[in-house]
Amino acid sequence: MKNMNLHNTLIQSGLDPVKVALSSVKQLYAMTEPQLLDFKFALIAQSFNFHYSNNPFYRKACEDKNISSATISTPADLIKIPLLPIHLFKANDNYKLLSKNLNSIELEMRSTGTSGIPSVSRRCSETVDNVILGIYAMYREFFEISKGAGLYLCPSNEEIPEMGMIKALNLMAGMLDTHKFMVKNETFIPEDALEQLARWENNFDRHIIGPPFLINRFIRFLKATDTRLKLDKNTLIITLGGWKRFSGEILSRKEFNQECVEYLGVDPRQIRDIYALVESNVVAIDDERGVKHVSPYIHFSVRDPKNLDQEVAVGEVGQLAILDPLACSTPGFILTEDLVRLLPKQEGDERSGQRVEYVMRLPESTEFGCCAVNLDKQLDNNEDSHANACPVIV
Amino acid sequence: MYNQIIIDNFSNPQHTGNLELADYEIEIGNPVCGDRIKIQLLTHDNFIDKAVFKAWGCATSIATANIFCDSVCGQPINSITQRSAEHLAQMLGELEPSQHHCLHILTQLHEKLAALLKAGVV
Repeated sequence: MKNMNLHNTLIQSGLDPVKVALSSVKQLYAMTEPQLLDFKFALIAQSFNFHYSNNPFYRKACEDKNISSATISTPADLIKIPLLPIHLFKANDNYKLLSKNLNSIELEMRSTGTSGIPSVSRRCSETVDNVILGIYAMYREFFEISKGAGLYLCPSNEEIPEMGMIKALNLMAGMLDTHKFMVKNETFIPEDALEQLARWENNFDRHIIGPPFLINRFIRFLKATDTRLKLDKNTLIITLGGWKRFSGEILSRKEFNQECVEYLGVDPRQIRDIYALVESNVVAIDDERGVKHVSPYIHFSVRDPKNLDQEVAVGEVGQLAILDPLACSTPGFILTEDLVRLLPKQEGDERSGQRVEYVMRLPESTEFGCCAVNLDKQLDNNEDSHANACPVIV
Repeated sequence: MYNQIIIDNFSNPQHTGNLELADYEIEIGNPVCGDRIKIQLLTHDNFIDKAVFKAWGCATSIATANIFCDSVCGQPINSITQRSAEHLAQMLGELEPSQHHCLHILTQLHEKLAALLKAGVV
């Protein structure tokens, strides 16, 4: 329990172990697996104790399962931590999820899938500190981005405030020299995107950022006009927002990558996907091999969907449970509706910690997607309405 | 960030629920990403006997739904539709810019109720 001692030492020194973890991503990835797990466990156990003590709804759920702070004493006990099913964030009475008074809530973020019912997560100032530090730390670790131009194939936060996906992508804009949002008034004009890229050529490294289906939409335009771009050697194509369209069609990651190579002129190592959820503070980001690494201070527990008390082995598909010690205003122990598999460490991969591959949304899930799928639908509707418009002779 | 009216109505809503049969039903919302509110009213002799809501969205919009229901219970229907803009603003207390859309929600709820009355949907 060397790292429980590290955790205690940090507290005794007047430091917040979570904040230290957030500013030490590289050092955490350099720990041995047992060291990292012990430290992560200490963070999660501390978070569990906080929510157990301060959240009557969560405490009752724990007591119903005979779980208390005393029950969670080693990393092997992490599986016993009661989980909040993610649909509770959509519930009419989701005020019950708060471990702090509403008065301490600084930021409400939301995501809306195909049902149109928003999933709302509420973050206090401490959680906002944590999530912002955590996202920036992970962006720096995996993208090493500090300059360049960002072509955002999505709307701005001004158009859809509170949307988690846009907010997370928008954080990156502050690290760039310039950026442009190319979806305006629910309309995307690919010619404008092309023109903007040309304007930045030889001035900036040009990055394309947005949900996969919108980048796919841009590539479809390039394909239709037989346009092949050659973006820059430091270009990153950064995707976030899921791979299923409103229509139910699933975008193939393999085909997407091939088309990025062919039409955007980038290497596969330049294409990076991010897995994130508005209800959690985790970001799992592709490295240059396309392998997603989980934030090192957050634990993924992949459960057997038929027996959620059991974890499946590494490499097997299961239902994702997230244990997130960054969440202070609501318990960060969430049972998602996502099927994933944890991946083993490959030779040459220096980082410790968990690697994950997203598989699909749970088949029985009542909905899929985030705000990105609604954008997809809206853009389709707009295109259809233009396609059926009566031709006007000017 | 939240005034005490919003905190009280969000944290301890008294009017959440669903009626099998309602005399009036008002639903508002943004289908893409916004707040959704469904209000159901039971009336008797032109007075509102019962008001319940279901709401999904930000804390202020949920509080707004509860405030609306609380304010209409026991009131004559016609008086509700005659409330002034100032009166509506006072019902929610001081709002921050990011919460101001809830004043629009409250106004919409009143307008929809007025439209139902005008159309004679009882």
